[in-house]
Amino acid sequence: MAKTIKMKRRNLFSWILLTPSLLFMGIFLILPFLLLLVLSFRDVDGMMTMLPTYSLAQYKEVFTSDIYLRTISSTLWVALLTTAICLVMAYPAAYLLVRSPSKGVRTLFYILLVSPLLTSVVIRTFAWIVILAQNGLVNEVLLKLHIISQPLSLLWNMNAVIIAYVQVMLPFAVLPIATSLGEITPNLRQASMSLGAGRLRTFLKVTLPLTIPGMISGSVIVFSLAAGSYITPLLVGGRLQPLLPLSIYQQVMQISNLPLGAAMSLTLLVFVAIVVAVLGWILKRWEGRMNG
Amino acid sequence: MSNITIRQVSRQFGANTALKQVDLEVREGEFFSLLGPSGCGKTTLLNIIAGFLEPSTGEVLIGGREVTDLPPYKRDIGMVFQNYALFPHLSVFENVAYGLKIRKLPKAEIRKRVEESLASVRLEEFAKRMPHQLSGGQQQRVAIARALAIQPRVLLLDEPLSNLDAKLRKEMQTELRSLQQSVGITTVLVTHDQEEALTLSDRIGILGNGELQQLGSPMEVYRRPANRFVAEFIGQVNLFEARKAPSGGEVPAGTISYLTDKYRLSSEQPLALIAAGIPELEGKESVLFMLRPERVQLSLERNLQETNQAELCVTDVSYAGNSLRIAGTLPGGGELIVQAPDPSFSVLPEPGQIFYARWAPEDLIPLV
Amino acid sequence: MDNSNSASPPMRRRTRRFSAWTTLVWIAGSLVYLFLILPVLVIVLSAFSPKEYPEFPPTGFSLRWFSAIAGNSDWSGALWNSIVLLVIVTLLTVVLGTTAAYAIARLEFRGKQAIQSLMLSPLMIPQIVLGISLLYVFTGMGLIGTMTGLIIGHVIVAFPYVVRTVSVSVSNLNPKLELASMSLGAGPVKTFFRVSLPLIKPGIVAGGVFSAVTSFGEVSISLFVYSPSTVTVPVRIFNYIEQTYDPAVNAVSVIFIAVAVIALIIIERTIGLTKVM
Repeated sequence: MAKTIKMKRRNLFSWILLTPSLLFMGIFLILPFLLLLVLSFRDVDGMMTMLPTYSLAQYKEVFTSDIYLRTISSTLWVALLTTAICLVMAYPAAYLLVRSPSKGVRTLFYILLVSPLLTSVVIRTFAWIVILAQNGLVNEVLLKLHIISQPLSLLWNMNAVIIAYVQVMLPFAVLPIATSLGEITPNLRQASMSLGAGRLRTFLKVTLPLTIPGMISGSVIVFSLAAGSYITPLLVGGRLQPLLPLSIYQQVMQISNLPLGAAMSLTLLVFVAIVVAVLGWILKRWEGRMNG
Repeated sequence: MSNITIRQVSRQFGANTALKQVDLEVREGEFFSLLGPSGCGKTTLLNIIAGFLEPSTGEVLIGGREVTDLPPYKRDIGMVFQNYALFPHLSVFENVAYGLKIRKLPKAEIRKRVEESLASVRLEEFAKRMPHQLSGGQQQRVAIARALAIQPRVLLLDEPLSNLDAKLRKEMQTELRSLQQSVGITTVLVTHDQEEALTLSDRIGILGNGELQQLGSPMEVYRRPANRFVAEFIGQVNLFEARKAPSGGEVPAGTISYLTDKYRLSSEQPLALIAAGIPELEGKESVLFMLRPERVQLSLERNLQETNQAELCVTDVSYAGNSLRIAGTLPGGGELIVQAPDPSFSVLPEPGQIFYARWAPEDLIPLV
Repeated sequence: MDNSNSASPPMRRRTRRFSAWTTLVWIAGSLVYLFLILPVLVIVLSAFSPKEYPEFPPTGFSLRWFSAIAGNSDWSGALWNSIVLLVIVTLLTVVLGTTAAYAIARLEFRGKQAIQSLMLSPLMIPQIVLGISLLYVFTGMGLIGTMTGLIIGHVIVAFPYVVRTVSVSVSNLNPKLELASMSLGAGPVKTFFRVSLPLIKPGIVAGGVFSAVTSFGEVSISLFVYSPSTVTVPVRIFNYIEQTYDPAVNAVSVIFIAVAVIALIIIERTIGLTKVM
């Protein structure tokens, strides 16, 4: 009897603990999101003042105008490409992390992976400006080696954006894949080799499939980050890149068309949510097959 | 089917020597066990045969061909692991077919071989299941089927039954033995369970401290252990150190008498042993003798004719169902352990009781 | 019994088997890590370079950019803002995050999974969407451009980190300890403060460090809700980069990187990196 009362008091206490953060998230996360949703249905007049009427006008604009459609597709494409490149590069890095010969080396790799994440995204992006600028590092080295005679214009294009994306987001792919790699029982690799499979075949048929959970985790994070980034492409690619977050930034900060910005934001959110849901579904199917 | 030759193989890990020097040959078609306590180097040796480890020195030959420089996937071996190592993302069928696909066999042939393999371990119904749906014993059988399906030259097993419970282990041992005999494949089993090794093997190699302590058939290894290590590792044993009797005592011709140092094994007379056939005892100052507990007879009366006899004061009795283990002290100190089959006593002996322990002279075996 | 040790020629030492694939993977992996660390190296190179651009190989060593920021009131003002924010945000986030993580771990109710996702959601929502929704709401509430608004924005972004690290600590906390405490007469409040809290300290500390670092470097949301009086260091960096190329930014960046590495070491010592990421 006494225990149940104690448990009830305990539960009450836990609920009291939970309330502040629930309230906070409710007011400052859920509420703004709902308001944004409502905002996206508002109309604007030619002077960008909001009218009290509601319609699908903003969404119509997003989905019928050529520019915005192209922007959406190129945003998704860039995010996809970034994810693919990150996955490919993540494997050797994860392999080194898992197979490092000593704890010291492993810690070093961790520091290399994680410390950039703790700086500001402006800093990480700024570094690329320093590297790719006309008087930046790459040009300086190439000029010194007489490979080129004129500095190359490496910034202000989508390639620079993708390179910067990959470098910024790679750790988010490496860590889950490394975790997955680490969970594979070492005997599996030996079993595969004992049956006649060489290293490459063992990797493709055994190791790779067993890291699917890590791959999917990493892909979810990288894709969402890449689809929603605006600071990096702004600084490295310039305002004119066809990326949805940039268009949103433009609409909100420069043109002051908040409803359109809201509609675009929600569109972005929906697309990212769809991709994340699909990936999550694949993961569920895989885990069902493996674990029952 | 091929034989395996291990020549002058040693292996170091940094400052630690796991294998000092091993030379042995596993004959074609034989069931060979590598037996020893943990850390003795047996798994290291198996991994060297398989190719997962390279020896620091020496060579490995399979079927007369040197394979030391070959990676595991080129050695045509079949391997079974302690934790089964079934591919969790592949079905039972796909697991067994894995090695066959690599060998590029035609689909029909693969299906036939997989079905045969699964039938040989009585798991034909389970082809479509996933490993996580199988019990430990079933997974191990699939692992065996997978290794045999590719018809390798040798079969290597690394403590395959250690993860199974005792009853299942006994069943699997029988199955393994009959499977090996019907296929006739050269097999090397690594185990720390000496009963398992004795039951299954044609020959046993006992490893201790990185060295081969003895190589022989189960009977040889049990009845005539080469040294103290083997005697103590295999089965239970009573050990006595015996010193040569001083000259001047009456010693019948053709025999060597030994009086023990710490106590007299018989109350009045020295031990008489059959020396014929053990010329190595000549000239030795002291020899270690072993006496298996199950070769000792207990009786309540003393036999006045018997020389190999001692008074035993019981200190402990354990009942194990099919046998009794009786420990007692001998006059002058020293312990003797006796194993008697269950029906020997209608009433269990009690601590403090006095018995007379007797054994045949040839059961007192010198370890030379 | 055959126990032969045949008299034989002296054993020769073997050379290790070479694997092309393994070597390839090590080279590839090293290149990837080099790629990851390249920007940091470049910034460090530039920050200490006597010239306005980085030189490779470096010609000299100079601290002129560091002294440049020391004297500049723009930077010191931004730094002050950032530090004030950092302290307040960390305190708030740690309190909110710890209570939330602990409560969720101890409660069982129908919508638990949903609430857990809610707590971690700011990590998954594109920051531009967060920024614009806060912009809109703050404008309505009159919080736009205020310190309060910035604080709220930072807390939202840092909150999931604290929840994650504290959850790890809580899951390692044996609930029997709390039951024992309560059976000895302590109420849930006392138990929480005397037993649970001290035992989840590593998670709290790690979360606090993450929170501080996140706030210090936050720019995606800040750009939407700041005003000239509430400029933080990253926002200032952003504006500088957009307008001009000032090498002093390199010096500021080096400070950030140093802070990040120190933070990492603290996290590793308290809760261990591998558990958190």
